[in-house]
Amino acid sequence: MNPIKTFVPIIQGLKITLGHLFKKPVTLQYPTERPKVAERFRGLHALNVSHNKAKCVACYLCPTVCPAKCITVEAGEDANHDKFASVYEIDMLRCIFCGYCVEACPVDAIRMTGEFELANYSRKDFVYSKERLLEKK
Amino acid sequence: MVNLTIDDKQVTAPKTATIYEAAKLNGIAIPILCHDKKLKPFGACRMCLVEVEQMKGRQIPACTTPVTEGMIIRTSTPDIVKARKMVLELLLLNHPIDCPVCDKAGDCDLQNLTYEYKVDANRFTDEKFHHEIDYNNPLIERDMNRCVLCGKCARICDEIVSFGALTFISRGIETKIGCEFDEALNCEFCGSCVSVCPVGSLLARPFKFKARFWSLTKNKSVCGYCGTGCNLTLGVKDNKVLTTLYDENQGFHNGQLCVRGRFGYQFINSDKRLTKPLVRKNGKLEEAGWDEALELVAARLKDAGASTAALATARLTNEELVVFKQLLQTAGCGNYDHSAGYAHAALTEGFAGSFGASASPSTILDIQKSDLLLVIKTDAYETHPVVGFEINMAVKNKGTLLKILTDKSGKLSKLPDARTLVHTPGSEIAIINSLAKVILDNKLVDASAAALPGYAALEKELAAFTPEAVSAQCGLTAVEIKLLASAYATAEKALILFPVGQAYPGHTAALANAVANLALLAGKLGKEGGGVLCLSEKNNSQGAVDMGFQAGIGAGRIIDGCADGSITTLFLAGENPLVSYPDHARVQAALDKVEFLVVSEMFLTETAAMADVVLPVCSFAEKEGTFTATDRRVQHIKPAIRKVGQSRSDFEIFGALIAKLGGVAPGTPASVFAEISATVPGYTGMSYASLGVEGQFAPVELKPAFVMPNAPAVTVEPGKLALVTGSALYHNGTLSQYGEGPMHVCPEGYVEISRADAAASRFAENDLLTVSSAGGSMKLKAHISARMPQGVVFAPYHFGANPVNQVWSGAPVTWITLAK
Repeated sequence: MNPIKTFVPIIQGLKITLGHLFKKPVTLQYPTERPKVAERFRGLHALNVSHNKAKCVACYLCPTVCPAKCITVEAGEDANHDKFASVYEIDMLRCIFCGYCVEACPVDAIRMTGEFELANYSRKDFVYSKERLLEKK
Repeated sequence: MVNLTIDDKQVTAPKTATIYEAAKLNGIAIPILCHDKKLKPFGACRMCLVEVEQMKGRQIPACTTPVTEGMIIRTSTPDIVKARKMVLELLLLNHPIDCPVCDKAGDCDLQNLTYEYKVDANRFTDEKFHHEIDYNNPLIERDMNRCVLCGKCARICDEIVSFGALTFISRGIETKIGCEFDEALNCEFCGSCVSVCPVGSLLARPFKFKARFWSLTKNKSVCGYCGTGCNLTLGVKDNKVLTTLYDENQGFHNGQLCVRGRFGYQFINSDKRLTKPLVRKNGKLEEAGWDEALELVAARLKDAGASTAALATARLTNEELVVFKQLLQTAGCGNYDHSAGYAHAALTEGFAGSFGASASPSTILDIQKSDLLLVIKTDAYETHPVVGFEINMAVKNKGTLLKILTDKSGKLSKLPDARTLVHTPGSEIAIINSLAKVILDNKLVDASAAALPGYAALEKELAAFTPEAVSAQCGLTAVEIKLLASAYATAEKALILFPVGQAYPGHTAALANAVANLALLAGKLGKEGGGVLCLSEKNNSQGAVDMGFQAGIGAGRIIDGCADGSITTLFLAGENPLVSYPDHARVQAALDKVEFLVVSEMFLTETAAMADVVLPVCSFAEKEGTFTATDRRVQHIKPAIRKVGQSRSDFEIFGALIAKLGGVAPGTPASVFAEISATVPGYTGMSYASLGVEGQFAPVELKPAFVMPNAPAVTVEPGKLALVTGSALYHNGTLSQYGEGPMHVCPEGYVEISRADAAASRFAENDLLTVSSAGGSMKLKAHISARMPQGVVFAPYHFGANPVNQVWSGAPVTWITLAK
């Protein structure tokens, strides 16, 4: 038995372990401590607003591209005969947060926020209506 | 055929083909925007540019250049692709590119070509158009900012619809498509312009923002309104029929539809649809279960036995009519009929006597092959608009002569060289007899005619119908009658068209006999492009005749029987006699009197509201079966959506009742159709598989004979106006009341009067007039028009809210007075 071959790896291993004792811990004391979410994190969706109106024109590209089929859009005609989303719902239980809806949007009406705390008590509360999705200012 | 080379491929094409057609025929795609196979070549968009070697490599439009022998054509050289890209860039320069909010996206020729040619940038800059968008119209929205000026809408409106509502207005960069004096669109709303628009300039408003094109399921079907038998493509999403889609390769009509077919589909998913059976309890209709309702009906049918009678609408499928017949026979009922009896007497009695078959010997396809068309009543256009389009195309493209014998002028009268003879109402049979008399006198009789049975008797009977004698009472001159007769007899191929239906009480068996005699005398039968075509009113009127859904005393006397108590139980399958049968008061009294009234209906109609049991049934879009069009084209329909609510098909209802009465319920529609093909003459060998998408003609075997028609004497009541009833262009039967499109354009009944009569009585447009006849009186809005002759007024019959049968007793001509 070669003592060098036996103990050197153990010492090397312990060096790493000991080193960690003096580093800042990785564990986050959630919820008292909050994680810093990356800029391009794909969390809860938000509908962008411009001129006090949702930018969405109900073009149906997001429900078309959505692989989880979790977006429901219904178009309406407003007083100026323009198209708007009278219904815009996302079922967060089905959403896979792939971000295709954001990519597909031709008018920059939807984005994904850093919001990740989506737990809820009942299933129906996971269906986010247009009002809940409108961006908060 | 000529030989030519396209893209190094040796191909042949007909001599008359253009380069575009030759390429398409041989599977080579050339992009187009302004070309449509139904329209004449135009060459506006320059997308179809190709190079022809013999023309020194110049770029020429494929859609307007005819092929010549030995042509060497290249369709996609780098130069051509460059040119096409530039065309697209220039089109997109002024186009708003608002695809996200444009309903055309996904089905847009401009969008598809832009993707195909990868035009993702524009070298040029210019201002977009700022045309005002026409939102005024409930059916067609016009946004000229998106227009690429292909002219298809203006051309289809002119060439096929022959209305001419749209045209190019202004010049140069200001050019746009508009109506006369740039006013709002006010046309017959067939939507043909919408169907051919390659971009989103013309859109169907009822479908606006409802769904994107790519999310629709496309289901082929057959229109459920008139007897033309047009094919439809239903756009379905979430179990709802949201629109009808255009398919230029569909049916004999190449996807061409009228206002009802294109915009009248909303009844299928109407909120007013009945979804649960209704049973009358304590004098009120209340919702009930199917078991309860069917049990009640079955028990009643068992008790009533022979005192039961039934009336069915000719909108049921052939299979349903056969099963209904089986049910009635199981119940011991011997009196059943459809569509008021008289409406199809031209077929069941008239043609049965004259031709030995209850069907028209000609088909709609004959119209464009004919040399002369004799149309009886311009209403042929109103009742069957797509047949009207065929007439337009025959006259305008093929130079077919058009003669019209009518009691009022109409749209067909405006066609080039159309000769309209306006006679006094009710005299058409005498005039046709007189035409036959002229043919006899002038020795224009076909050699085959003399050998037919009844010839000698006819010759004798017609003696009284000299043009001079007839002209005295019909408002035409003897010369006019003689000219028409010789024109008809000398034309090589001549076709007579006349509409029948509940609104045309004068179009009886006698008229069919008179018409048949004329055609037989002149020897017009048996030739392609010649003969007689009776245009039946409902989508399956001919089918109901073929299935023999007629026994016993006939519809008119069934109503009488209810009134006098000899009929105690009446089963109405989809029929609405309170609105569509003559003499409202009589029908009302009969339905009040009858002990037990069962109605199977889609809607709570005026008639259904009087019933003891109402069974909710489904529309044509929810069931399987076959319809037989007016020219005996048998077509198969399949369900496009699931049944609405708890509604069931008539097929299922009749089957369930047969089982409850102890009979053997039929299997599936397919098995019933097998039975039909085994027993009904002409249907031999047909099956759902053999019908396919196009359908199949049931051949008509003729045993011609002359039958002398009884021309009823027209009684003229001096000082009164002659009311003729008919069909409004936008409606068919009473069903179209539940389609939003037709109701947007024509929401209520009216009485159409001549300018002279209006001026004499100082009536203005939309005045509420009291119409009084011997039978009763009612109020109708006045509609003053140039087409009515003095002394004649017209009223359509479709409207349940104020039915015209309050004054109309079923006589061919009703004499009325008008007062403000």
